[in-house]
Amino acid sequence: MTAASRSPRRALRILWRIQRMALLALLAHKARSAFVIAAVAMGVAALTVIVASVDGARRKALEIVDFFGPDAVMVLGGDIENRPVGQRIYTLTWADARAVARSLPGAYAVLPMRSIRQITLKYDNRNHESPVVVGATENYARAWNWPLAEGRDLSEEDVARGAKVALIGDEPARQLFGDASPLGRTIMVKNLPVQIVGRLAYRGLSGGGSDVTIDDRIIMPISTLTQRFNLDRKYFRGLRIKFHDPDLIDTHKDNLRALLRHLHHLGPTDNDDFTIISASEILKFLTAFTGGLVAFLGITAGVAIVVGGFVLANLMFLSVSERKAEIGLRKAVGASGAALTAQFLSEALYLTLAGSLAGVALGVALGESLSRLGLLQLRLSPKVFVLSLAAAVVIALVFGLRPARKAAAMDPIEALRGGDD
Amino acid sequence: MNAPADAPAAPAASRARETLIELADVTRTYVMADTPHTVLAGVTLDIAAGEFAAIMGPSGSGKSTLLHILGLLDRPTSGSYRLGGRDTGKLDDDALSRLRNQAIGFVFQSFYLVPYATALDNVLLPGLYSDTPGAALRRRGEALLAQVGLSAQAGHKPSQLSGGQQQRVALARALVNDPDLILADEPTGQLDSATSAEIMGLLATVNREAGKTVIVVTHDQATAAYARRQILVHDGRIAKS
Ligand SMILES: Nc1ncnc2c1ncn2[C@@H]1O[C@H](COP(=O)(O)OP(=O)(O)OP(=O)(O)O)[C@@H](O)[C@H]1O
Ligand SMILES: [Mg+2]
Repeated sequence: MTAASRSPRRALRILWRIQRMALLALLAHKARSAFVIAAVAMGVAALTVIVASVDGARRKALEIVDFFGPDAVMVLGGDIENRPVGQRIYTLTWADARAVARSLPGAYAVLPMRSIRQITLKYDNRNHESPVVVGATENYARAWNWPLAEGRDLSEEDVARGAKVALIGDEPARQLFGDASPLGRTIMVKNLPVQIVGRLAYRGLSGGGSDVTIDDRIIMPISTLTQRFNLDRKYFRGLRIKFHDPDLIDTHKDNLRALLRHLHHLGPTDNDDFTIISASEILKFLTAFTGGLVAFLGITAGVAIVVGGFVLANLMFLSVSERKAEIGLRKAVGASGAALTAQFLSEALYLTLAGSLAGVALGVALGESLSRLGLLQLRLSPKVFVLSLAAAVVIALVFGLRPARKAAAMDPIEALRGGDD
Repeated sequence: MNAPADAPAAPAASRARETLIELADVTRTYVMADTPHTVLAGVTLDIAAGEFAAIMGPSGSGKSTLLHILGLLDRPTSGSYRLGGRDTGKLDDDALSRLRNQAIGFVFQSFYLVPYATALDNVLLPGLYSDTPGAALRRRGEALLAQVGLSAQAGHKPSQLSGGQQQRVALARALVNDPDLILADEPTGQLDSATSAEIMGLLATVNREAGKTVIVVTHDQATAAYARRQILVHDGRIAKS
């Protein structure tokens, strides 16, 4: 009874006492230890990047959906999904917009829009190249859930008059005005003098991995844009529609589709000549994209971690056969098989933990440079650390156990003699 | 022979007459390439607590094999081995580990110090697997290093020590758990005669003053002369004891 109650404490004390020796053994074989640490670090770095980038992608998807609004759809001219050859993308007309506004149940805002690029903005002697110049109807900021940092939204009157006014995004505002307020200033949009009436707040979404940010835009009344830049007067590119009830969005979409097919005189066998996008489509697309990323990075990280594990196992087998005399001696002086297993597993665990810390550091550095290059959006969380530590423990136990058991199973006489085992 | 079954730790004075080791008809057979090789062919031997014995004999006669069995590193193929009255044949591997740890100290021809550990850490090694509290263990290790004259070298690695110094560290290590039995297999085999004399002198002191039972396997007459009893092994049998 006393032996039974004493024995777990005894095992713990031995476990504690051999730790110093385990560390000394690792220090005595620095090159080998460094090699294992590096191999594990590679795997954990890959794991860090994958977890961070998946989190980043998910967060970005949610931001985009949030920005888009769960209560809104966007209609674009042309069938984006099937892209029939030669199909026109200018298929949405003012008449469509009016009909939708008048007869689509549940819709409270219908906002036609179009945009142009390759325009230069000028203020004083400063230039800003090719922002997106958006033509929109009134209440653009409100319709996009986009707070104004200062000034006012586009008004009904602006649109009716074709006023030469604009909302300015954060990026061109900083390029042209620095820290000064752009309100009331007149900038040149190509050759057109336009007064800034409002500044959109910083949004900070990057456009799907490119270096175009969503903040790089100015918004003018669609009437002004059409007239002054000689755009087609009948058609526009897109239509944003907001509904009262986000829960009914699927029904709203069906109604909208039926209405547009009717307005465009499409027969039952004709394809849509427009595309309706809602938050769920965006989410679906982003999830598919993220899924591909997860699969690719997941396989990479898995392979890297298994490689790290094999390096650990091999170098531990090497260590066990090199340290036969030590193992035999330890057994001779009374180390049990369990104590030897524990020592070699401890050594393995120190190496994988060091590798895991180095790997997280490496992964963070790698992730930072990847997101700086705009290749990936990363989000580091405590989860990364927890996962890396778990990976370290799993690698040590899975790949370290066989060499450790081999050490424990050695016959002390054979081991001391240095013979084979 | 008549020692009580559980009395390994009796006072030194009475222990001197008790039987520590009882081998009865012990054989050890190796099977190599389907052919059995009998290395020990029926050894019956008693060694009393406090004895200093030398095991001698020609090369290949089975001296080391016998010592490994005495040290619980190997098991007899047949026959029985009682240590301190306990039948060791009934013990499992973990119990044998504990018994080696508590009751037996080893000294080997090639020292077998752990190369990356200091002299003191090497001395403490068997203590790591014992119940001795850390501080007491460390004090004991330092005292033993002083006893073998190596206090100044406590922090040295084995590679910084001479052969004789390494064997003295090994001897201190053999004593750290205060075992009753010290087994040495050719402890002077790699040492010159002066250094051999030092080591054998230390073993004699351990036997005489601490009352430890010491058994030394050796080829060397001068080494064997330190022992009060000579056991001659020939062809796996005791030729003379
Ligand atoms: N594991 C083993 N497998 C097969 N044969 C063995 C094994 N161990 C020892 N032997 C054989 O047993 C015999 C006795 O060996 P042992 O080492 O006991 O002799 P020894 O008396 O110590 O010799 P030496 O004086 O050379 O050390 C030898 O013939 C040896 O080859
Ligand atoms: Mg021998």
